[in-house]
Amino acid sequence: MSMLAAVADMDRLTSGEALVAQNVAFAVMAITMIASALRMVTTRNVVHAALYLVIVLSGVAGIFILLGAEFVGVTQVMVYIGAIVVLFLFGIMLTKGSFGEDDGVSGERRLMAGLVGLLVFGVMTAALVDSFADAELAREAPSTTAEIADSIFSAYIVPFEAVSVLLLAALIGAIVVARRD
Amino acid sequence: MTDALLLLAFQRPHIDWHGIAPELVLLTAGALITLVDIVFLEKARPFTAALAGLGLLATAVPLLTLAVDGTDRVMFDGAYVVDEFSLVVKAVFLLAGYVVVLLSTNYVAEGDYWENEYYGLLLASVMGMVMMASARDLVSVFVALELLSIPAYLMVAWRKRDLHSTEAGLKYYLMGVFASAVMLYGMSLLYGVSGSTLLSDIGTSVAAAGTSTAVITMGIVFIVAGFAFKVSAVPFHTWAPDVYEGAPTPVTAFLAVASKAAGFVALLVLVFVGFYSRSEVWEPLMWILAAASMTVGNLVALRQTNVVRLMAYSGIAQTGFMIAPLAVAGHGLTNGDQALSAVVTYLAIYTAMNLGAFAVIIALSRKTGSGELSSFGGAFSYAPGLTVAMTIFLFSLAGIPPLGGWFAKFEVFRVLATAGEPWGYVLAAVGAVNSVIALYYYASLARRMWADDVPDGDHSPVPVTPSLVTALTLCGAVTLAFGVAPQLVARFTDVSLLALGG
Repeated sequence: MSMLAAVADMDRLTSGEALVAQNVAFAVMAITMIASALRMVTTRNVVHAALYLVIVLSGVAGIFILLGAEFVGVTQVMVYIGAIVVLFLFGIMLTKGSFGEDDGVSGERRLMAGLVGLLVFGVMTAALVDSFADAELAREAPSTTAEIADSIFSAYIVPFEAVSVLLLAALIGAIVVARRD
Repeated sequence: MTDALLLLAFQRPHIDWHGIAPELVLLTAGALITLVDIVFLEKARPFTAALAGLGLLATAVPLLTLAVDGTDRVMFDGAYVVDEFSLVVKAVFLLAGYVVVLLSTNYVAEGDYWENEYYGLLLASVMGMVMMASARDLVSVFVALELLSIPAYLMVAWRKRDLHSTEAGLKYYLMGVFASAVMLYGMSLLYGVSGSTLLSDIGTSVAAAGTSTAVITMGIVFIVAGFAFKVSAVPFHTWAPDVYEGAPTPVTAFLAVASKAAGFVALLVLVFVGFYSRSEVWEPLMWILAAASMTVGNLVALRQTNVVRLMAYSGIAQTGFMIAPLAVAGHGLTNGDQALSAVVTYLAIYTAMNLGAFAVIIALSRKTGSGELSSFGGAFSYAPGLTVAMTIFLFSLAGIPPLGGWFAKFEVFRVLATAGEPWGYVLAAVGAVNSVIALYYYASLARRMWADDVPDGDHSPVPVTPSLVTALTLCGAVTLAFGVAPQLVARFTDVSLLALGG
């Protein structure tokens, strides 16, 4: 059987089988994300850390797209990579002194952070595997952008409007607190 | 193609305009303040406080018409509900917001802070609380929480020329977003289990989940931890004393009362509508939070020398009392309803008495300019009215009859004792011991004000502004009325969430 036919066959999967192409893509992204995340918290250079964060966040966006949630994936790129990381970089460059090497944290704190991290990781992995090991996603895309738009303006209209008040309040407050006077 | 378009045809949501009228009035008031600021600039400054107060009072009008109407209104498949419970706690939030406006009036103007922006943010935060009272879905709960928190983070840092205030704002913000993140993770786990953001759906699937409890347990633990931060329960309380001390005092009063009450409202809704069937998970959590908050809060309060820090630790201890009924709330409908009423009663009375205490602190600090306990010495000789008021509020906080705090504590003990559970009796005993400890430091502050000498020998009277008098009268009247005639408050707080949640 040719490779092409094998890939075409994958479209008719029953439960228990797996989508090889998707799994390979997921594995590549997950490994890249884990490596970058580790580098992000271990690197001594703040700018490098921000750039590693970009890789982690793009990985998240990629996984969303892999799951068919294209709206969330694109939002992830626009908001996190487009706005927040750029803000980080500006913040780092505009504040004097913290640019470049950082002293890092003390050994004791590092140990505690590692312990807590491992504990949370262990407990969460056990809990998630226990509950979702046999769960299967529906084959069709979970929600299209049009459906999301519809639900924002119908079922979630109150929180949506509240978010606009929240953003205005945050904007006004941030200007008052940040401006020189 | 046409089919696809028809499938996606937009369904106009049914909106009950009367039901969301309180939120709309608040929104209008907030927008008006912002617009007036833009158009009239400095000329508008003397009027913004009055405008904010009027906005909050105007919001009470639709609240009253809704209460008279009396029907439960359900919007968006149950995501937004206007029922008795939500109306009562909305009234508490509005009262708290109004008193905070009264407390802020002179404080903010004299400090030359950014007044118009301050009141705009205050109204936005109150709007978040009012929304929280009606929110019955994870997205609404989360957005309401952020809407009430983010303006609060900024208001804490409002005295921007003071390093303590900036530090407090930053600390509150960082701890707050961390708690939000933990809580959001918990919410995402519950959404993963139930596939719905509606709390009633989550309640159903949590009850039906059978043995696969690990993720549900983690979700509940994370969400409860997030709100435990909001209500400053031990061990998530470390932010409270520093933030309370650094923030402008009216903002401290707002955090200690309104923000805490909003956290409790969310916790109540989540526990009673969302997780009620998992009492084996949340009851022990609540037990630990209640016992730890009461004990740690009271013991540390004994050693405080600053009055705001003292109020912070006493607030932590009061949080413990408010959580306590939830530790035995999982045994059937009557029991759950009693616990819910006890918490709402406590919230309403705590709001009045704690705001009253802060009003006196603000009034006296205008003269002494200090928050040290020793600076309150001999206050009776130059401010007898304020001293009497403070004594009333302190003894009410301690739970002495016939003041409101007595009835609040009584309700808590009644729920703990009638649950018929050994753990309930143990918690009641812990609460009783803590009431005695609390009485010691409340009474010693009162004794200082009555009996000690004035530290600097300055006997000139304290200038009390009309807005402070109004605030004190309101709080004092509520504290006394609910203590002398507890059936008054019991009539309002006899609410239920379980009937809706199933």
